Amino acid sequence: MKQVVVHPEKCVGCMQCTVACAVAHSSSRTLYAALLEEPLPRSRIHIGSTRFGRGFPNRCRHCDPAPCMRACLPGAIYRVSEYGTVLVDPDKCINCASCAMACPFGVIRYHEDAWAQPGKTVAVKCDNCLSRQLRGLIPACVEACKSGALGFEEMDRAQRRKTDAVSDTVWSTSGVVLPAAGSIGFELLHAQKKAMVEMAQTSRA
Amino acid sequence: MNSLRNYDSYSIAQDTRLMLKRAEQESVETVWDRHERQSPHCGFCEMGLSCRICVMGPCRIDPFGEGPQQGVCGADADIIVARNLGRMIAAGAAAHSDHGRDLVEVLEKVAEGKAPGYSIQDANKLRLVAAEYGIEALEREPLAIAKDLAFAMQEDYGTRKKCLQLVDRAPSQRRALWENLGITPRGIDRETSEMMHRTHMGVDNDWVSLLLHGLRNALSDGWGGSMIATDVSDILYGTPMPAFSQVNMGVLKEDMVNILVHGHNPVVSETILQACASPELIALAKEKGAAGINLAGLCCTGNELLMRHGVPMAGNHLCTELALTTGAVEMMIVDYQCIMPAISKVAACFHTKMISTSDKAKFPGMVHREFHPENALELAHGLVREAVENFARRIPERVYIPVEPIPMMAGFSIEAIVKALGGSVTPLIDAIKSGAIRGAVGIVGCNNPKIKQDHGHVTLAKRLIENDILVVDTGCAAVASAKAGLKVPEAAVMAGAGLRSVCQSLGIPPVLHFGSCVDNVRILNLAAALANTLGVDISDLPIAGAAPEWYSEKAVSIGAYFVASGVFTVLGPMPPITGSLNVVKLLTEGLNGVVGAAFAVEPDPEKAAILIKEHIDAKRKALGLGV
Ligand code: SF4
Ligand code: SF4
Ligand code: SF4
Ligand code: SF4
Repeated sequence: MKQVVVHPEKCVGCMQCTVACAVAHSSSRTLYAALLEEPLPRSRIHIGSTRFGRGFPNRCRHCDPAPCMRACLPGAIYRVSEYGTVLVDPDKCINCASCAMACPFGVIRYHEDAWAQPGKTVAVKCDNCLSRQLRGLIPACVEACKSGALGFEEMDRAQRRKTDAVSDTVWSTSGVVLPAAGSIGFELLHAQKKAMVEMAQTSRA
Repeated sequence: MNSLRNYDSYSIAQDTRLMLKRAEQESVETVWDRHERQSPHCGFCEMGLSCRICVMGPCRIDPFGEGPQQGVCGADADIIVARNLGRMIAAGAAAHSDHGRDLVEVLEKVAEGKAPGYSIQDANKLRLVAAEYGIEALEREPLAIAKDLAFAMQEDYGTRKKCLQLVDRAPSQRRALWENLGITPRGIDRETSEMMHRTHMGVDNDWVSLLLHGLRNALSDGWGGSMIATDVSDILYGTPMPAFSQVNMGVLKEDMVNILVHGHNPVVSETILQACASPELIALAKEKGAAGINLAGLCCTGNELLMRHGVPMAGNHLCTELALTTGAVEMMIVDYQCIMPAISKVAACFHTKMISTSDKAKFPGMVHREFHPENALELAHGLVREAVENFARRIPERVYIPVEPIPMMAGFSIEAIVKALGGSVTPLIDAIKSGAIRGAVGIVGCNNPKIKQDHGHVTLAKRLIENDILVVDTGCAAVASAKAGLKVPEAAVMAGAGLRSVCQSLGIPPVLHFGSCVDNVRILNLAAALANTLGVDISDLPIAGAAPEWYSEKAVSIGAYFVASGVFTVLGPMPPITGSLNVVKLLTEGLNGVVGAAFAVEPDPEKAAILIKEHIDAKRKALGLGV
């Protein structure tokens, strides 16, 4: 099952994802017509700003177990297991904000929405673009992001890549300060493996 | 009400800090609030990697290398960054030069007798500049000379010339260098127009040649549009001479009709100043219960009035909303450039009337009264009368003027300095040779909410004068150091021993107010005069430029003409170029081998001071002067 994977280190803060998300959740699903809609569509992904002005894409983690789901007394929040997605049923939502209190990430907003009854304020959050996925499209935010901060991939593949990247960073940038492993043979082996990889790379160039 | 925010981190200026608290109480939104709401800024744009030049796009280049590396047309990061920077220079040069054009038009109208509010105040400068243009100036009426000069200057704007006239002021080595590089500016409008052409999709796609034209475009501003603006302003309104005045929001007066002028062009503010002196209007003000009419300035039109008439300054760029928040302003009159469209919203919270005056600059929420040379004086009288009448609508309980004004000295034109030195620049050169003054630095440019207001300007100025480096400043930088008390002769005690004794013997401050942003050309003129006297190029001199808090496209043009003229220039905020390390490298290193100077970027003024000091030491050494 593919999931939206966030790589906050690559977020350039352009907010293209927020525009795409809002449009994907409008009635018309096109940018220009969406601007004329009432209510105006709103994004489910929010770009936070760090102390140094770097962007951070903040969206629903679709937790399991999900604190918001447990906090929702009318039972408006439910899970679609085959898509790993936590959804809000706007008809059952009573706008009590319990889910927002329970959500550790602050990703639930309350407003009118094209997909709820007209005039009703409801809890709104990321729905993993299920309606797009059913049409064979990837989530709108991922499609919009040009810097690679948002990906849509199998979770375990993404975790493996991240593990490799972190390993690489630790070994290549802090290798000098890490204590020696204690076996000269082991160091020798790795020195040789490194030399082979580097040789392969330079000879290609 | 207790403020939740730490306004001390926004500005080093006491008046700004107190007014920000007041703005919060009055629910007045400021530039800092809006800046916060814009964060994070789009990284593509901050790096110069987004292109909106055509509608096959807009395009952006992924700086991490995974996403798109070319726009739809195939432009890569280097091309896109260079094109964007080129267009910033073009916009800045256009702004300064169009301002210059407006002044030339007034000069023309004065010559034709069609501009009742204006006259020739410095006939001597008129003759000197006319002579440079090859216009017969002896034994002729000033108005006849003015007509010819206006015509000749208008030619500088066109396409008939191979080289702008005032380029002749540059040392011959510099002119030869420009000629060899093919960047001698030809026509003021031509270079800007050509930049727009080159950066159209599918024209100049060599980032180096784009940047070289950027330098030429900037030179058409520095040795063209801006230089004309300053010279013609001096001719029409008088060449500045040192005078005392006051600065900060305390220059607004609780018991007077307060009028603020904001913008850049003295064409409007000069007539407002005349109208404010009208006995009839002053009598009316007294009739309305005010003690008189108080005119004060903001930004560069304020600097223009300050330089020539000692009109006090209420503040710099980031003070413009806050000055209105005092509730003590009857009228603000704006012309163009750096006027945030937000200010009329602030005015709407008070009784303040907002007036726009230029045919090319209209603002939401302002009443538009278009100034032309023919009607300016009449309009100015009418506006001042309206301001006086508006005094009755002021709500005294809401007036808050939090500080006492700081004294300052301004008016340092080259002519004034030469006069103070006894008729030539030789004493200044001797002081530089002896090491009493180790060098000179122009601190210029704006405020930018990304940098604690005035911290960049003031810290840098202090560190430089401590090291016996004379500071000349312009624009909002000049207002910053004045607010910090650096522009009085007594401030000489803050300078190193050498600079201190020079300042004390001449009775001048260690930080000299050179005027508005177009007046940066006074710095070029001084540099050229020093270089010519010494028989060296500008790039050989122990001088530098700095724009510690710049924000505007005009500042990009200024920085580029400084560097192209041979002046090492340190920028505070990073321009949008980091998307192309090629462009970064060329601007910060490569240009040294091309024009003998380059840019550096250093937001921390303490570190910028070290960079500049090292640069000046190196230049002194190369000239065989003591380090
Ligand atoms: S709304 Fe918050 S608590 Fe609920 S699933 Fe999403 S991240 Fe988890
Ligand atoms: S997956 Fe869809 S709903 Fe969720 S943040 Fe992205 S665009 Fe918005
Ligand atoms: S589109 Fe990507 S880079 Fe841009 S704000 Fe969203 S997550 Fe960040
Ligand atoms: S000029 Fe090229 S890079 Fe720029 S918007 Fe057009 S296609 Fe995209």
